[in-house]
Parts: sequence; C-alpha cells; structure tokens
Amino acid sequence: MTTVLLVILGICAGLVGALSGTGGGIIITPMLALYFGVPIEQAIGTSLIAVITTSAASSSIHLQRHTTDIRLGMTLELATAFGAGLTAYLVGYINRTALEVLFATFLLYGAISILRRGGKTEDEQDEFAPQPSGNGIAIPEYEPKRVGLGMGASLIAGGLSGLLGIGGGPIKVPVMYLFMGVPLMVATATSNFMIGVTAAASAAVYYRRGDVVVGIAAPMAVGVFIGSIVGAKLAVRVHSKYVAILLTGIMLYLSVHMFVHIVGKFL
Amino acid sequence: MSQVREPAFDRAIALVLRIGAYAAFFVMLAGVLATVIVDGQIATRIELAGVLIMLITPVVRVFVAMVLFLREKDWKYGAISAGVLMILLLGSLFGIGEH
Repeated sequence: MTTVLLVILGICAGLVGALSGTGGGIIITPMLALYFGVPIEQAIGTSLIAVITTSAASSSIHLQRHTTDIRLGMTLELATAFGAGLTAYLVGYINRTALEVLFATFLLYGAISILRRGGKTEDEQDEFAPQPSGNGIAIPEYEPKRVGLGMGASLIAGGLSGLLGIGGGPIKVPVMYLFMGVPLMVATATSNFMIGVTAAASAAVYYRRGDVVVGIAAPMAVGVFIGSIVGAKLAVRVHSKYVAILLTGIMLYLSVHMFVHIVGKFL
Repeated sequence: MSQVREPAFDRAIALVLRIGAYAAFFVMLAGVLATVIVDGQIATRIELAGVLIMLITPVVRVFVAMVLFLREKDWKYGAISAGVLMILLLGSLFGIGEH
C-alpha cells in the first residue's frame, strides 16, 4: 500500500517539478521525513535516486540538441563530485536535528527566492519539452572565462548537493552565464548534465552507509520519472505561473512543518 | 573548451544516459509491481537492481566520455574525465562500515 502511495507522490512531485521547471526533487525529501517516518539522512539519500533518474533522462535530451558543453561540464564535475562526495561523507557525522534545521532553512530560502522572482522559477530545465528541430539551434561562439571561479562555485554547489540532496542548478547556472561568459542555454544544459554525476558521487556514499532505502527509492523514482515526462508533455514550453505558486506553497508548508517537528522534539 | 558542437560525441553520451535511465526505470517498475503483487525477497532484489543500474549510469557516462576523449587524443580532457571517475570510485569506497 505504501508502495502505491509512494509512486503516486512521486508522480505528483515529478509533475509539479516539470511544470514549474524546478525538478521537484526538493519536496520529496521533506515528505519522506515528515510523513513516512524516514530519518532525514535516509530521506536525502533515497531522493538522490530520483534526482539521478530525471537528470539522466533530461540531459540526454539536451545532449541531442547539442547545447551541452561536455568539456566544461566534465571540468566543473571535478569540483561538484568532490564537494558532493565530501559533504555526503560528513553527513554521517552531523547531528540529525542539525541536518533537519539546515534542510528546513534551505527549503524556506528556496520558497522565498521563487516568490521574490514573482513566481518565476529558475529557467533551469524545460526538461522533456519538444525540441525545436534537430541541429538548428544557433549557439554564439564563446570561450569559458574565469574557470577557477566556476570551479569554486561548483565546489559549493556540489557540497550543497551532497549535504541536502539537491541539484545546485540555482548556483551553477548564474555563475556560468554571468561570470564565465557561457550562453544561458548552454549553461542550463551543462548544469543539468552535471547533476547526475554530482548526485551519483554523493549517492554512492549514502548507499554504502545504508542511507538509500531501496523499497522507497524505487517507487519514488518510478513515480517522479512518469510525472516528469507527463508534466513536460502538458507544459509544452509554457511554464505555468500557477504551478510555481503551488510549488512555493508546498515548500513553505513543508518548511514550516519541519520547523514545528524540530521544535516539538525539544518540548 | 567550448566546442559544443560535436554531434557524434553528444549522441554517444546521450545514448548512454538514455539507456541507463530507461533500463533503471523499467527494472525499478518491475520491482515495484512485484512488490505490490507478491512482495518478498525477490521483489526487493529487483528494485535493488534498478537502483544500482541508476547509480552506475553516471559512472558509465564518465567512462565512455573518457574513452572518447582518449580516442580523439584529447589528453587533457581524457585526464579530467579520469579524475572525475576516480572521485566517483573513491566515493563508493568511503562510508563503508559506518552506521
């Protein structure tokens, strides 16, 4: 029964993620922690499987549009994978409540930053959106600048990913676009490309520690995968503002619930 | 860097990711269905197989990219890929025996 419920929840998370353009992985972890009694570190490790699945599927689409800079992605992955592996390792030594506080804070921050952009989510991925005809995308010539800065930002993005099980796109995309001179389309695709390897670097550590709950990861990932594909078909390039508002509402609610849950432990 | 347009290279990597994602999805789906219908050890094993396929896919992707770079005699990016591969493999060594 729980399995069916997890698939349905995954579908909802995938739908909301694809329609709002955020991936939706951010709401899986707190739901697992709050409503399925999964310890936070296991909820993070488990949600990473869904993150890798959607990233692999969506970045294969970006690759076929030839908008991914594989060399740049691979270079920055040195930093994201290292950062992710390191913090994933450290999670084994972090106090569970501290990790919950970190996660709830990040969730609140994420919700507020979407609100501040006026309901527009990061133009991160229109994941599975139909492609505008084969090789016909014109990409301006560029040469990535300030690779050192990019590596630093990637280390932080990777570290956050390993710590909280998130993609880190909101850090990597602006840095590549604004500071490294990478066209936005390429920055988005390349960030997406890096998420799979980054998540895998931390997921391996979580898995080894026993923090990937297979019986939950599988139905969740199956649901998210279905939800993302259906959501992308529904969205057809238009990112609904209402879905972003819905996502923000869910994030705010989950964040507040987590804080209440944490405070409750001390009462 | 910045050579975005290498269609064959892009396609090869896309293929690896696509095969990995769909294989993992269908194996996990089979595991989930097995769990719902019969449950038990075998169902969990199938789910685990799907999860492991998903975990290994990014590693395979880096490996294939490394081979492609080396075949192009692009030693710099071959070495960078090897570095990423090392980090991924190191990660799967750490964490053993805790908990």
